[in-house]
Amino acid sequence: MTAASVEPLSISSGEPRWFRPLLVWRVFTAVLLTSALIAVAVQRGIVLDGPVRWSLLVALLGAVVGAGIAIRGTLQQVHLGRFSGFVIDLLLMVVLGFIALNRMDMFTGIDAVGEAFNGNVGWLAIVILGWFVSGFADRAGPNQKILKQVAQWTMIAGMIVLTVAMGLIPGLIEFAQRLLEGDVILFAVGAVIAGVFARILWSDSAAHLFKTTQTEGENMDGMLFVAPNVLGFLAFFAGPLIVSLFISFTEWDGLTDAKFIGLQNYIDLFSDSLFLTSLRNILIFGVVAIPLAVFPALLLAALLNSKLPGMKLFRAVYFLPSIAGVVGVTLIWKQLFNSTVGYLNFMILKVTEWFNALVGTGWEAPQPQWISDDSIALIAVIILFIWQQIGFNTVLFLAGMQSIDGTLYEAADIDGAGPWRKLLNITVPMLRPTTVFVVATSTILALQLFNEPFILQSPSPPSGPGNATLTPVVYLYQNAFQEFQIGYASAVAWALFILIFGITLLYFRRSGDDGVLTS
Amino acid sequence: MKNKLILLFAVLALVAAACGGDDDSADDGTDTTAATETTAAADDGTDTTAATETTAAAAGDVALRWMTRPDNPEEAAVYGDISDQLSASLDGVTLTYEPGSNEGAGYQQTLLTNLSAGTAPDVFWIPGTDIADFASRDVILDLREYADASGHSDTDFYPGPMGHLTTDLATGQPGGALWGLPRDVSTFGLYVNLDLIAEAGVANPLDLEANGEWDLAAFNDVVDGIAELGGEIRGYGQSAWWGPYGAWMNNAGGGFFTADRSACGLDSDASITGLTALRDLYSGDSVIPYGEDPEPPFRAGTVGLFQNGRWATPGIRTVDFSWDVVGLPEGAAGPGNWLFWGAYVVNAKTEDPAKAWALVEALTEASVQAQISELGANIPSRVSQEALDSFLTFSPPANNQAFLNGLQNSPSTEGPLWAGSWPEFVTLMDSEIQAVVTGSRDMADFQANICSETASAFGS
Repeated sequence: MTAASVEPLSISSGEPRWFRPLLVWRVFTAVLLTSALIAVAVQRGIVLDGPVRWSLLVALLGAVVGAGIAIRGTLQQVHLGRFSGFVIDLLLMVVLGFIALNRMDMFTGIDAVGEAFNGNVGWLAIVILGWFVSGFADRAGPNQKILKQVAQWTMIAGMIVLTVAMGLIPGLIEFAQRLLEGDVILFAVGAVIAGVFARILWSDSAAHLFKTTQTEGENMDGMLFVAPNVLGFLAFFAGPLIVSLFISFTEWDGLTDAKFIGLQNYIDLFSDSLFLTSLRNILIFGVVAIPLAVFPALLLAALLNSKLPGMKLFRAVYFLPSIAGVVGVTLIWKQLFNSTVGYLNFMILKVTEWFNALVGTGWEAPQPQWISDDSIALIAVIILFIWQQIGFNTVLFLAGMQSIDGTLYEAADIDGAGPWRKLLNITVPMLRPTTVFVVATSTILALQLFNEPFILQSPSPPSGPGNATLTPVVYLYQNAFQEFQIGYASAVAWALFILIFGITLLYFRRSGDDGVLTS
Repeated sequence: MKNKLILLFAVLALVAAACGGDDDSADDGTDTTAATETTAAADDGTDTTAATETTAAAAGDVALRWMTRPDNPEEAAVYGDISDQLSASLDGVTLTYEPGSNEGAGYQQTLLTNLSAGTAPDVFWIPGTDIADFASRDVILDLREYADASGHSDTDFYPGPMGHLTTDLATGQPGGALWGLPRDVSTFGLYVNLDLIAEAGVANPLDLEANGEWDLAAFNDVVDGIAELGGEIRGYGQSAWWGPYGAWMNNAGGGFFTADRSACGLDSDASITGLTALRDLYSGDSVIPYGEDPEPPFRAGTVGLFQNGRWATPGIRTVDFSWDVVGLPEGAAGPGNWLFWGAYVVNAKTEDPAKAWALVEALTEASVQAQISELGANIPSRVSQEALDSFLTFSPPANNQAFLNGLQNSPSTEGPLWAGSWPEFVTLMDSEIQAVVTGSRDMADFQANICSETASAFGS
């Protein structure tokens, strides 16, 4: 359904029935939001501390302003009134609905879903089978209609039996009981009313009344489609980001009231030897690890791009490290790096013994202390990072290579170019956008290094011997969760963000100058 | 149509998951059920899941949430069972247990985030070193008035932890406060690979200890003797954090702080003696290099003596060689050890402090501690024969007594820094001790400067 494919219209035909209730609702929501704003501001009824309170105040202030605009626009019957009212109703529906469900203890986690399905997997299999069969029934020849109906009814029957077996009936009764407990019903009713008015405002009649143009209507439709993602982004990314920026200007331990100290945390960073050490470490790490994670991946992709037998298997094998859990992988590497029983030193020992036997030398096999020697501890992390990253980069390069126009290679063949020349003169230049992307993502991942040193050094401190593996994120973690310096840790986070943002911007600007972004 | 059906099915399934199942709260109209999905992370990073469903708060009951970090999945399950038992036995209280950590966040992160958001449980466990930080920030309650009213006696628990738990905020000395009760304690022991001892033909440390001959000289002989087997075999290993080297300082009569814990004590002659012994040990090739995790090679059967706490025991039980535990060797100042502990404390924002205190008392009862001790990772914090007997039933090791002896060997009790910042002190101390032990920093330079280098932790 598209709601807004209409031209502006004068309201000579009179107001629709829902207009007066909408006006009442607009005023009610404005009063409600203003009351909430005052309650948070004066700490009556809604008592919150620190940055959480300030964040809520800002959000509520924005909502009150929006509600005011919505009232004015509704009275004037202009599109701004429709749009702002729609946004407020949509947000109210989500927020009130979330509060109601939360107060009903409905967010129980994925394990609860697993437990509910537990023991009824057979019925679930019937549902899935019915779904698959109904999907493929079109290919069943003359009996397709019957087969489709049988499959769909099997699926429906399976669903009914499964939900009943999972405890749907007592579950619905329990749901109803929880809904009627305390103030839950108020939030639930509020969410439903907000949802109803949001639906009304999205309708054709609202578009007519508020004189919405076709473009404005299409914009609204588009915004509605991206709304779930935008809401998630605001709630779980932009919101915390802004809060952390605010926190970075405070002295806050996460437990008591935050004290605003302006730029002091940022000023302190410049004289903090540990932070500077972490920056030095991560820059060394980046300079070494990023090229080693990118250029070999390019060569590997060139190899895997050939049509030799078994290449699909190799592509999968090289990609495996990037989908393996970083904790598990790092634990395995920790064992490999162990200086006394690790396979890496064992291999060095055996290779040296073999070489000595072959050449007749008497060299002693080096047995590096990969994790505990401050001069090479960072190298161990680099090796691990490269191993994890190279497969992913290879797949990206491979995708880039397969999108290169084959006629270029045919032309090169006619001109007598060999494989190496084709790689350098066709593949590499044509892969420039991919290369920029690969380098940028590898850089971002490298600068955010945390898990690898944290797990490799465990049970010793993650900063490693002589702070050799102290990275900005490790330092951030130590400040936030071990030293209760949330404000300072937030400043570290923002300093790192500025560094990453600056480097990434630099990559893309340079690439843009070369026409990569427009290619 | 098909998509709408599937959507409807998904919604109903989620409702059933959240409210249905084996719910029995709908039997009478007064009960409610809170299904709590919990995921526990063991100390070693191994994650596990324990689902705890706490049922039925009768009308008028106080609902209390409590959180403690389990060492392993089995322990998480036992804590869940204990929660259900106490929920049934405590008057007017309904309990919900939360292990507090999951795949994405450790215990400390979860707790701090919950405290910041005002959603922390009524009762929670914290390491002993955090008591001062939490008490001085008014995050936890002083429980003395509730303890006095209930007839609690501080002497029912080991004096080391209780000294910190009764510390007065104003003086920084043990006084009339009560910040919580210890959940458990632990000491160091040396896990011994008996097969390597036999193969090397060195004296058995258990015999040496029994004969009163288990001192540093004998220890060094055993370590060197085992290492002489050659190859990847090493005599000894310890992890590179403050606990293990703290025990070496303690054996020499030193420590991190002055006696009243108001200033740095790393530069005392006794502390330097302990550190020197450790540095000398690490100057040779007989030991696992400092900073390497010694547990994998010990479990691989290539290390003779492995210093670790009681918590390592369940993991060591999986090895396929003969092993036992012996106490730490006597140092320059005689026997010594380190006493680890953590405590149950009460959230300052709990709505019912009296009930929360009752829960703390119940969680530290001998019978409850006995249930946990049976799993082998924790030593009871209550001086109770019943609890200790349960602890001693866990075998191997045969010589569980080694850990209990550690409690008697004048252990240095880990604890918070009431006169400064413990986390900051540790951050500064750890890297410098590592530098000294690995030989990259001169001992004389360390002694001359370390206390000024760590002075910022004391606010100066």
